[in-house]
Amino acid sequence: MTDSTDTSTQPIVRIENLHKSYGDLEVLKGVDLRVNRGEVVVILGPSGSGKSTLLRCVNLLEVPTSGKVFFEDTEITSPDTDINEIRKHVGMVFQSFNLFPHLTAKRNVMLAQEKVLKRSKEEAERVAMEQLANVGLAERADHYPSQLSGGQQQRVAIARALAMDPHVMLFDEATSALDPELVRGVLDVMKSLAREGMTMIVVTHEMGFARDVADRVVFMDGGVIVEEGIPSEVFDNPQHERTKNFLGHITLK
Amino acid sequence: MLRSLQQSKLFTVVAALMLAATVVFSLACPLQAYALDVEKCTARANQDGGAGVLGATETRVTWEAQADASESITALTFTLPAGTTFEVEDTRVTQLTGEDLMDREFLDAECTQSGDELSIVLDQPAAAGSYVRVEIYGVRFPAEGGSMVLTGTYQLTDSSVHNLPDAPAIKVIALSVPEQISNWLADQSWVQAWNSVNFLHLFFDPTIMATSFPVVFSGFLQALVIVAIAFPLAIPCGLILAFMRMSKLRILRAIGTTYVNVVRGTPLFLQIYIAFFGLPLAGINPPPILLGVVVLAMNSSAYLCEIFRAGIQSISAGQFEAAASLGMNRAQTMFYVIIPQTVRRVIPTMTSEFILLYKDTSLLAAVGIMEVVMYARTIVAATGSITPYIVAAIFYLIITLPLAKIVGNFEAKLASKDGGTSNKKNRKNKKKDQPQKVDANDDQGITPAEISSL
Repeated sequence: MTDSTDTSTQPIVRIENLHKSYGDLEVLKGVDLRVNRGEVVVILGPSGSGKSTLLRCVNLLEVPTSGKVFFEDTEITSPDTDINEIRKHVGMVFQSFNLFPHLTAKRNVMLAQEKVLKRSKEEAERVAMEQLANVGLAERADHYPSQLSGGQQQRVAIARALAMDPHVMLFDEATSALDPELVRGVLDVMKSLAREGMTMIVVTHEMGFARDVADRVVFMDGGVIVEEGIPSEVFDNPQHERTKNFLGHITLK
Repeated sequence: MLRSLQQSKLFTVVAALMLAATVVFSLACPLQAYALDVEKCTARANQDGGAGVLGATETRVTWEAQADASESITALTFTLPAGTTFEVEDTRVTQLTGEDLMDREFLDAECTQSGDELSIVLDQPAAAGSYVRVEIYGVRFPAEGGSMVLTGTYQLTDSSVHNLPDAPAIKVIALSVPEQISNWLADQSWVQAWNSVNFLHLFFDPTIMATSFPVVFSGFLQALVIVAIAFPLAIPCGLILAFMRMSKLRILRAIGTTYVNVVRGTPLFLQIYIAFFGLPLAGINPPPILLGVVVLAMNSSAYLCEIFRAGIQSISAGQFEAAASLGMNRAQTMFYVIIPQTVRRVIPTMTSEFILLYKDTSLLAAVGIMEVVMYARTIVAATGSITPYIVAAIFYLIITLPLAKIVGNFEAKLASKDGGTSNKKNRKNKKKDQPQKVDANDDQGITPAEISSL
C-alpha cells in the first residue's frame, strides 16, 4: 500500500469546529482534526472525554450538532451527501464486535460485499477467506459468532471491515471488552495493518500500542483536544497539566 | 261300526289330502291379491336430532292395510329384509274402524318368528273389509341401510293365501362406523355402569363421544383452514404495521399506533359482530368464511405488530450500527441483519399468538360459522349431554398442547444461548476456546428515533 512516510499532504479526514450535544450535555466543544492518508492517529483520553463520539462522527453514526466533517473531498455533514456511499470506504470496529450472530464468520465478511459493493458470491467468498486468513481465522470461517472467543470475534469484525477495501479504519476501543489474554491477538492484527500503510483512527486505552504504532497521538479531555503530537513528545514530555495527570494515572495503574 | 269307522277314516284322509293339495297349490301358485291395499309402511325415526331411520338402531315398524269388503283376514306373514332383526313378543295388531279410523280395537294374535319371517295368526278373523294396523317392535334394520321393503302373505277365512302387495319402501340410512361403535358401546355393561353416574354421563358419555368425534372433526378442519389462511395473512400485515409504528413519518406512526390501539383495545367478539352485522347493512356480503378469515387476520396483525416491534427493538443498537458502518441502507439492514435475528426471537411469542388465534376461531360460532364449537353445540342441543363440548376441547388441545410444548423448548433453547446453531464439532471447539458473551452494556435495545437516525 502507500508509503507511510508521505503523510503530510493528503488529508483523508478533516474535522472542523465539531460540536455535539445530547440535550444540555455538550460532549464535543469545537474539535479540529486532520488525518492524512496512511497516518495512524491514536486518540487518548479519560472516559467521557468525547473521543468515541468524535470517532463516531467520522462516519456519521453520531450526527454532529454543528461543524463540518470532510472525507476525502466530500463534506459528509452536508445533507446532500449519500452517507452510505461514504461508509463503504470507512471501516469501523466496535468495542462490542457487533458481528451478525445469525451468520457464520465467513457470511459476516461476505454480506456487505455482496449487498453494498455488489460483488459476486464467488468474489465475496474469495475476499472473505483471504481476509479471515489474514487475521488467522481461516479455519473458523464456518463458525457462528457465539462459537468464537471474544478475540476471534473481534478479528472477524476487522476482517469484515477490511473486506470492503476501506480508505480509513476506525477502531472504537476495539480491545476494551476483551479478556487480557485475548487482547494481544487483536492488537497484532492492528499493528500489521498499520505497517501495511492503512489509515487508522484508533480510540484506545492501550498505551503500549499508542506508543509503538501511532504516527500521532491526540489527547482529549472535556470535549476538546488538549494536546497532540508524535508519541514520544506526548508520552515523555507532556505539555499540558491534564495530559500529565492522565498519563501519570495510567502509569500508576 | 267298523265300516263306518273306515268310512270316516277315509273321509278324513281325503279331507287331509284335499287340504294338503290346496296348501301345496296355493304355495306353488299363490293367488294374486287384487283387493287388499297397503296404505302405509313406515319406521319410527331413531336418529339423534333428525327425522331419519338409521340402520342397526332400534325402531318400530308400522304397517297398515285396507282389506276389501269381501276379505276377512285370519293370518298374516311378513318377510323382513335380510339381516333385519325384530322382537316378536310385543307385536301388536289393531283394527281401526269408524269415522277417520279413530276407533281402535286390539286383535289378539299368536305371533311367531322363523328367521326373517314373522307369522301372525289372529285368534278371531278380522272383520271383513277392515283396516288393519300391525306394529312390529324392536326392529333393527341392517347397518348398511338402503331401501327396505316388507313382503308377505295374508290368509282369509276361506283359507286362501294371497301375497301382500308391496309396501312403500322404508328408507334406512346406513350407519356410519362411529355410530356402529356408539351402538356397540351402548350395549356394553361397563358403559352402562359408567353412564349410570350422572356426572360421567353428562360430560364423558362414551357413546356420544364416539358419534361426536367425526362431526366435531369437520369443524376442526374448518377451524384449521381459517387459521391457516388468517395467520400467514396477519404476518406481513403485522410487519407493515410494525414498520409504520417505527417510521420517521409522523402520519404513518399515527395510523399504525391508532390501528393497533383500537384493535387491541376492543374485544375480538365485538369486532366480529361489527364486521358480520355491519357489512351486510352496508350492502357488502362477502362469504362468511372469508369475512371470518379477514377479521381474525386483521385482529391478529395488531398483536403481531407489537410482537415484531418488540423483537426489532430488542436487537442491540450495535447491530444497526455495524450494518450502517458497512454502508448498508435501511432496507438492507432490516432485511439481511435485523429481521433474520428478530425471527428467532419472536418465534415463541408468535407461536403463542397462533395458539390464541386458533382458540379465537371459536368466537366465529357466534355468527354461524361451522367450526369446532358450532358443531359441538349442535350435538349438545340434540343429545342434552355436554360430552360434545369435551370432544371440542380435545380438538383444541390437539393443537395447542404440542405447540405450547414447542414454545417451551424453544424458549429454553434461547435462554441457554443467544443465536447461532450448534453441532458436535463446534461444541468441541467451544470448550477449547471458552467463548465469552458480548458485553452486556451493548444490549440496551434501540428506540425508533435511533433507528431512524442511522
